[in-house]
Amino acid sequence: MRVALLQFAFLAVFVAIPCSAQESPFFVTYTHHMEEPGNLEIETSSTMGIPRSGQKFYAAPYMEVEYGLTAQWTTELYLETSSVWGDSTVFTGWRFENRYKPLKREHWINPVLYLEFENLNEASRIQKEIEGGGPDLISSNRELRGEHAHELETKLILSSDVHDWNISENFIATKNLSESEGVEFGYAFGVSRPLARLASGANCRFCRENFIAGIEMYGGLGSTLDGFSARGTAHYIAPVVSWAVSDNATLRLSTGFGLTDQSNPVLLRIGYSYELAAFGSRVSRLFGVKR
Amino acid sequence: MKPARVVLVVFLTSIFAAGQNPSYRQDPQWIAPATAIAKANPLAEKPETAAGGKKLFLRNCAECHGPNGAGMEKKHSADLQLPLVQQQSDGTLFWKITNGNAPKGMPSFSRIPELQRWQLVLFLRTLKATGPDAADPAK
Repeated sequence: MRVALLQFAFLAVFVAIPCSAQESPFFVTYTHHMEEPGNLEIETSSTMGIPRSGQKFYAAPYMEVEYGLTAQWTTELYLETSSVWGDSTVFTGWRFENRYKPLKREHWINPVLYLEFENLNEASRIQKEIEGGGPDLISSNRELRGEHAHELETKLILSSDVHDWNISENFIATKNLSESEGVEFGYAFGVSRPLARLASGANCRFCRENFIAGIEMYGGLGSTLDGFSARGTAHYIAPVVSWAVSDNATLRLSTGFGLTDQSNPVLLRIGYSYELAAFGSRVSRLFGVKR
Repeated sequence: MKPARVVLVVFLTSIFAAGQNPSYRQDPQWIAPATAIAKANPLAEKPETAAGGKKLFLRNCAECHGPNGAGMEKKHSADLQLPLVQQQSDGTLFWKITNGNAPKGMPSFSRIPELQRWQLVLFLRTLKATGPDAADPAK
């Protein structure tokens, strides 16, 4: 009976209610679209770097859990790892992120304020954003994992929906609280559009309406110590695509091309997200809380 | 059938058959601007596109408004079949879908492409009261 109750509790919380899981195709650039209130999204992604001479191939898988606290406030937790070919696999830390949309209505430009606390080591390679000069792609995991960094990252997200296009710009400033590195800067911007403007009546999976394609560009902009500059830092330009695999799931792919010597020649990204609608109210109901 | 399975079936059914919300009252602060109210639905001459609107409704809206749009009392979501909703212009409904009403928990759906939001409006027009209170929609 206890097992049955546990099964019931699990199903009560995790059974999928159809909801629109069509996600923005961007991996780095944030838009002003928030998680729906009460919905929980679980995503597994990986960043893979094709090496230049002197660098090694790496894969950096990470997991995100995103929850819509309100229609204007989304919170997210990341757990990340890194595997370097011929080296080792290490846990590289966690991030806790909050996004707040101060304006209640849609405007030409929609600002979102972003604040993230990062407890990482220098072996982190997921490159959810690039600030300063970008990650160290040459030193070994053993050398890098010992260097811990508590960082506070802020972003100003500006995003517009113009007809079917989304245009988003992110300005990043990060302060390492563990070391005196000054404030590091970065940027990301992206443009995306669904492949079809109208939805068909058919319940199809390969219809164009289930795909969003776009392009994003991101990189570092130096720091207050080294000077605010786009030189000597990593920069990428990346075509991106997302596919709504089901009503609850989205698959995203990106191939980033490095634009400077500090970048990997190619940065591959893949992500699969699954959205649980009304997660908050189901958990509340399970514990007898009335909402 | 084992009791646990019966409870499970009842629970899952209740998720999808949650009660209507005929007592819905509009938020007086949620008012579309005059320019938005006057906008005409560009798909008005293409009623066949409402089928796509239904699919979008089931994906995006049914979670809170129910599969027949009758609203859910628990979620304080609008009964979209009520005359006070149906009497609003296409432009008003489009504006409300686009902007949402964040303080009341209605998210913005601006991420849905523009024409698809108009498809949703087209589908909303097809919603008709089906429950026992259908004869008295103001109830």
